[in-house]
Amino acid sequence: MSPGSFVARRLLLGAAQTAAVVLLVFALTEALPGDAAVALAGDQPDPARIAALREALELDRPAHERLADWAAGLLHGDLGTSLTSGRPVTRYLADGFGPTLLLAGLTLALLVPLGFGLGVLAARRAGGALDRLISSVSLAVYAVPEFALGVLLVTVFALRLAWLPPTAVGYGTDLLGHPAALVLPVLVLLARPVCSLSRLVRAGMVDALAAPYTAHARRYGVPERRILWWHALPGAAAPAVQQLARTADWLLCGVVVVEALFVIPGLGTVLLNAVAERDVPVVQGLAVVFGVVTVVLNLGADLVAHRLTPRAGAAA
Amino acid sequence: MSEDSVAEIRDLRVEVGGRALVDGVSLRVPPGKVVALVGASGSGKTTTGLALLGEYPAGARVSGEVRRAPGAVGYVPQHPGAVLHPALRVGVLLRDIARAHGRDRDDLRQALADARLPEGEALLRRYPHQLSGGQQQRIVLAQALLPRPRVVVADEPTTGQDPETKRQIAERFAAVAARGIAVVLLSHDLDVVRALADEVLVMRAGRVVESGPAERLWRAPRHEWTRRLLDAEGVPPADGVGRGVGGVLPVGGGGVGRGVGGVLPVGGGGVGCGVGGVLPVDGGGVGCGAEGVPPVEGGGMGCGVDGIPPADGDGIGRPVLEVRDLTAVHGRTPVLRVPRLVLRAGECLAVVGRSGSGKTTLGRCLAGLHRHHDGTVLLDGVPLPRSLRHRDRERLAAVQYVFQDARAAFDEHRPVLDQVARTAVRLRGADAHAARAEALDTLARLGLTGDLPHRRPGALSGGELQRAALARALLARPRVLVCDEITSGLDTVTRRALLDLLAGLPADRPGLSLVLITHDPQTARLAQRTVVVEAGHVTERAPGPLTVCCEVGHKGSRVKSLEGSEAVVRRLGRHRRTRRCP
Repeated sequence: MSPGSFVARRLLLGAAQTAAVVLLVFALTEALPGDAAVALAGDQPDPARIAALREALELDRPAHERLADWAAGLLHGDLGTSLTSGRPVTRYLADGFGPTLLLAGLTLALLVPLGFGLGVLAARRAGGALDRLISSVSLAVYAVPEFALGVLLVTVFALRLAWLPPTAVGYGTDLLGHPAALVLPVLVLLARPVCSLSRLVRAGMVDALAAPYTAHARRYGVPERRILWWHALPGAAAPAVQQLARTADWLLCGVVVVEALFVIPGLGTVLLNAVAERDVPVVQGLAVVFGVVTVVLNLGADLVAHRLTPRAGAAA
Repeated sequence: MSEDSVAEIRDLRVEVGGRALVDGVSLRVPPGKVVALVGASGSGKTTTGLALLGEYPAGARVSGEVRRAPGAVGYVPQHPGAVLHPALRVGVLLRDIARAHGRDRDDLRQALADARLPEGEALLRRYPHQLSGGQQQRIVLAQALLPRPRVVVADEPTTGQDPETKRQIAERFAAVAARGIAVVLLSHDLDVVRALADEVLVMRAGRVVESGPAERLWRAPRHEWTRRLLDAEGVPPADGVGRGVGGVLPVGGGGVGRGVGGVLPVGGGGVGCGVGGVLPVDGGGVGCGAEGVPPVEGGGMGCGVDGIPPADGDGIGRPVLEVRDLTAVHGRTPVLRVPRLVLRAGECLAVVGRSGSGKTTLGRCLAGLHRHHDGTVLLDGVPLPRSLRHRDRERLAAVQYVFQDARAAFDEHRPVLDQVARTAVRLRGADAHAARAEALDTLARLGLTGDLPHRRPGALSGGELQRAALARALLARPRVLVCDEITSGLDTVTRRALLDLLAGLPADRPGLSLVLITHDPQTARLAQRTVVVEAGHVTERAPGPLTVCCEVGHKGSRVKSLEGSEAVVRRLGRHRRTRRCP
């Protein structure tokens, strides 16, 4: 199969997945017991309020018409308006996206060199003291959930030692102006992905370093450093790239726990508030955006992995 | 180390887990000479060869002495594809090697040219899987030559290659030796050994049983095992004339020449050609015998002159499989065109051609493994779905495929018997118990008895596994059995045994049609009909022995055209006198 046709097929599949996400989000809202208006009315079902909500949500119109309108709006970047504030949903997203992107970007910028570096380091002396240290520490850290690690770090570094601010309260969305507030959240976000990534890279590197092609490069005196980073790593990187896409996806879709813990006004916080207020259009909008981000990132990872394993798809 | 050797091994013993892989092996490699280690698979050739590179199996206990002249030792492994990084363009390692040894662009170009890859620089941008096996091997040879080694170790360089390619490989290594680089050739392919070697060491079970100059060894083998090895290569004619005259030079029209087939199949061909392309009624028999297979008595296959249908073939039975207007593509490139091809019940069809000619693609189209074609494949007059994914059980069972690499075709974690029996359960709905009994029976008929079927694939030899693969396909009770190069990659003794089994199949399974994809003339001779695939075009050949004749004629002219190279002439000299084809 030619690379061009692979990319085209994968892009088509991505488009289909995106459409499926939109449909699914709509269907899930439809599937709410009673209808969205009843669900929104909450614990005090006041018939007048429900009627008002129905009208606001245009629930009296047939489902396919509403879906068509909503989908048409999506295509123009119109995600509807919030029920609680009347502001367009896109404003919510725009406000929350900045902090989330900043956190995700910083985390990824540190994650890639750390994850790959530790993995390669451990694999180079597989079974040695350094390998065992890295492996056991990474397993231990991986076992600690984000909220627990976050609480621990805040207690030690913010409350006891007072080196860093405990939360981002008061800084608004201008987090870049207050880098100290970012240290702890990024650390918490980094902890588990570094462990999983480095373990994946290590496993792949151990295989790659034992492969006949590596022995062949050594046979002719190619420098070890070159072998390590240029010959062994590409083969080991394919699964790591997929994992990296999953991590990026997790980060960009607003890490609710961390944002809540450090009071960062990112997408996770927007989502949390929208759910608490039963603001269905905002939740729908977020769901669509998260879905699309997931599709796009995995598409990118598949293309990179395809490049790293050029033989894949050559068989019947 | 003595003056006139670039590498030397003295009394080498390599032991893994208490079992000696090689024991008491000594050898001396003079500069510019070809030293061949011959023997069946598992005789310790590779272990000895790798010792020259200073490499030993993991956990090996080594004693003895290995010395080599300063400088790198080149290595061309049996499967060049395995040492090429699947995700890197082949140029990357070549440039790295050049850098590590202080070689520049010109040296790189020179190494490519020496490896017979003049167009090499364009290939450097390709990935290994985009190269043919031959190109991969030449890239690996270029890697070996780049550091200007004193010795190159070549492990089974001709295994699984067609005769023409074998000849080119032999010529390539002859050229390497001519430049003063010693070649250590590890091979069970006696043709290439004969064409190249100055010194031969015959190995068996980790020991050198006989060694000496190549000429002497062939003329008068001293050890019983050497004799058996040489015999297996070409079964001598019944009257035994070949043995009497020495075999290397077939004398006169008798066309005896034990072991003449292979790299330079010359002997009997001369005779056949003398007949001048007429359907060889008598002469054909001679040609066939001269190539080393006793005619006709091939076990009911009707090999040879008897029972050959006319070229349009309306004899043996009704058509089982028919191919119409097939054009197969890889990507957008057409790789195979078959206007019409009919396979009849009980018939054995050989598909011959050089590597890369498209013969495997033809087999894969039949079996539904290659769906990118626009033709029709009819089974009993009903079109078969192109992809095996869309074939139902019955039609899956009807066309079975046996692959070249039997080891890769088995799950290494389950006993062979279970995997063989599974076919009957999956494709015929047999119950597990009956399937097991039938599998045991079929395996026993193919010579796998005792606890062999109960072992895992790792504990079986290549030949045994290939029989198991055959048994697995037979358990589907197929109408058509496609065998893709199932004898290449096996040593001569094992190959012979497998050929006998194949020859006996039709008697055992009446109505079964065989498609033998092969470039081995011995294997092709089992068939009543032969089609030749050349650069994607399929043509039917006049049957049997004439095929041999034409091939030799063709080969002969090719060899002549290559005589420009001094080294080749010197190396191939001993065969030239026998080339009489017009």
